[in-house]
Amino acid sequence: MTQRRKRGRLFYKFLFVFLLVSLVPLGVVGYYLVNLMQVTLNKAITRDQESLAVGFVDTVSTYITSFRNVLYDAAHLSDFVGMDVEKQKNMVNNIMQLHAAFLEISVVAADGQETIRIGRFLKDTKLRDFSNDGIFQKAVTRGEFIGGLERYMGSYPTLTVGIQIVSPSDNRAVGAVLAKLSLNGLSGILKTSFPENTHTQAAVIDSSGFLVAHSNLDEVYKSDARLPEDVLKILLQNDARTGGGEILLDNGERVLGAFAEAEELGWVVYIQRSVSVAYQASADMLKRTYKMGGYVFLFVLILGYAVSLVIAQPIQALREAAIKLGEGDFDYLPDLSMPNDEIGELAHTFMQMSESLKVKTAEIMSAKDELERLNRSLENRVEARTRELRSAQDELIKKERLAAIGQMSSVVGHEIRNPLAVINNSVYFIKTKLGGMQQPTDPKMLKHISIIESEIRQANGIIDEILGFARTREFNLKPAHLNAYLEDLTMSFPFPPHVELVKQFDPSNPGVNIDADQLTQALRNLIKNGIEVMPERGRVYVRSEVVSPDWVRVDIEDEGPGIPKDVLEKIFAPFFTTKARGTGLGLAVVKKAVDGHKGKVEVVSTVGKGTCFKIYLPIVNITQNKQ
Amino acid sequence: MSHKVLIIDDDAHLREGLAEVLDAEGFSCSEAANARAGIDLAKKHDPDVVIMDIQLPDFSGFQICQELRKHSRDFVLIMMTGRFLSAEEKTQGFELGADEYITKPFDIQELSIRIRQLLSRKGK
Repeated sequence: MTQRRKRGRLFYKFLFVFLLVSLVPLGVVGYYLVNLMQVTLNKAITRDQESLAVGFVDTVSTYITSFRNVLYDAAHLSDFVGMDVEKQKNMVNNIMQLHAAFLEISVVAADGQETIRIGRFLKDTKLRDFSNDGIFQKAVTRGEFIGGLERYMGSYPTLTVGIQIVSPSDNRAVGAVLAKLSLNGLSGILKTSFPENTHTQAAVIDSSGFLVAHSNLDEVYKSDARLPEDVLKILLQNDARTGGGEILLDNGERVLGAFAEAEELGWVVYIQRSVSVAYQASADMLKRTYKMGGYVFLFVLILGYAVSLVIAQPIQALREAAIKLGEGDFDYLPDLSMPNDEIGELAHTFMQMSESLKVKTAEIMSAKDELERLNRSLENRVEARTRELRSAQDELIKKERLAAIGQMSSVVGHEIRNPLAVINNSVYFIKTKLGGMQQPTDPKMLKHISIIESEIRQANGIIDEILGFARTREFNLKPAHLNAYLEDLTMSFPFPPHVELVKQFDPSNPGVNIDADQLTQALRNLIKNGIEVMPERGRVYVRSEVVSPDWVRVDIEDEGPGIPKDVLEKIFAPFFTTKARGTGLGLAVVKKAVDGHKGKVEVVSTVGKGTCFKIYLPIVNITQNKQ
Repeated sequence: MSHKVLIIDDDAHLREGLAEVLDAEGFSCSEAANARAGIDLAKKHDPDVVIMDIQLPDFSGFQICQELRKHSRDFVLIMMTGRFLSAEEKTQGFELGADEYITKPFDIQELSIRIRQLLSRKGK
């Protein structure tokens, strides 16, 4: 059965719903989680970077402060003022050797004249006049001053630190120490903190946007090195001291940036990280989520398949059963034994329904059969009744007709037979009178007298036949011994001399119920016919033969010319005759009489050999009735 | 002496014809046209043979039989009829005193012989 393998649409619906129900929330939750994680990570990284930036601001301050302190300590030595130039020179050299960041240190007197000038890469050692120098003046008046970003020898980012030299006796400024401080150290620290493989750039810029330090030293050495304008725009226009966030660079790169301002210097520390790197974790997370989703999808698919199968299979089976039921097949329903759950109950209910349907259908079918049977019997009864009515009607018509004929026969009997009798008497009288005369009678006269007599007989015979047929009275059947009856009959029948009577009676001499008048009339008619068809000579057989325990046959057979087949069929019909003068009632009377005896009459005729009328009569047991 | 025959029939031709024929056969006939007259004549003449039609206008044949037999059981009573008599009718007729019945038209010679047979059976 290929149909069994077919999955219904329900199955796929279930599967689809399962997938939807389990995957959609997963997807939504996953999406939010990833998003949330990204936001959180974003914030964390930004905050992290911010704190890094803030931390680095300290580093920068500390870096500068530590070198200022070195200078400050030196300048504020109690005997620095009292030292001679050589000593001061030694000391400055000492400092230069200890701190590589100092590129050049000058000692300037209160009047602005440079007294000592020691530089690391210095070729020109000519002493200069600082009396108009801003930094010198600020350092002298304020005690100390840190200048802005400079490019030492055109490339090294440096700044000038000025410290007032104070006379310990009267606490009065007597000059200043000016030192050029290399800021490469800062870049070095940045580079150490953010190595290249971290994909993080860190930079320190001054308030004009020029690079003070950068994690990539090459950036710093460029003349007028600056951060990209798009970043600067954000940094310089921002009023906040610290901050951070995602930045879309002009080159399309997305980065996470954070900054912190070093207030006293007016510098900004900026740390930038590529988003792809920053979000590496979240990307991993996303990947894992997708993978997880894939696993869940597979799992749900298998689970859904199984569950759908469990739900859909019984329903499919039920459906098949319903189809079979619809086709009227109650006996070969598929197996519906199912677990004891709602579907099992449904199957159980279905089975009950099919049972009751089966019973109901059987009832309907049997009711239908019954109805058909009743209809048939009704039809039969109507038919039978119609037949009865028709036959009753026929009978009535026949009776009426026969009554009319009976009436007529009375008239005929009385009114025609009387004249015939009169004529007969008169003819007899004349005949006797003529016979009594002396002279011989004219032979023609005698011939005519005999013609009259013959015609009277003829007329009388016809009247006999008509009256015999027209008799309407009931048959008065009385038991008799057939052979004795036939013996009497043949005895009283006037056989002419040219016809021989042959009697062949069954020795068992069966009893029969007969109406002697009617049966005699019938048999006489037959014998008379037999004689009539043998005008020359011949034999008439009168035979009786028991043919079965219930029936005896009486034959009246002649040796006449026989009856042609086409005539044979009609001979029992009233008024059918082949004689020149005949009523055609003789055999009709026979038929009527035999019918009245509950018998039947047959005729067998062979042309040229003769005719045999066979009358079958029911045998009755008359021994008890015998007197 | 010849036997007396009374013929009762409403048909004059039959009655007269039969009388003449029987006269010729050696009987002495008297006639009546109806039952009443027939019964009267029978009482008066005391006939040996009565031949009567059973369909007479005033009486039914069987009633006449009864009436005639009240007077005498000695004569031969022959019923005449133009129609078939059923077995019951015949039986009834014989029970009421009829000796024979004949159907019209009849053979005179036969009738004559039969009458003589019946007469001799009655001892006449």
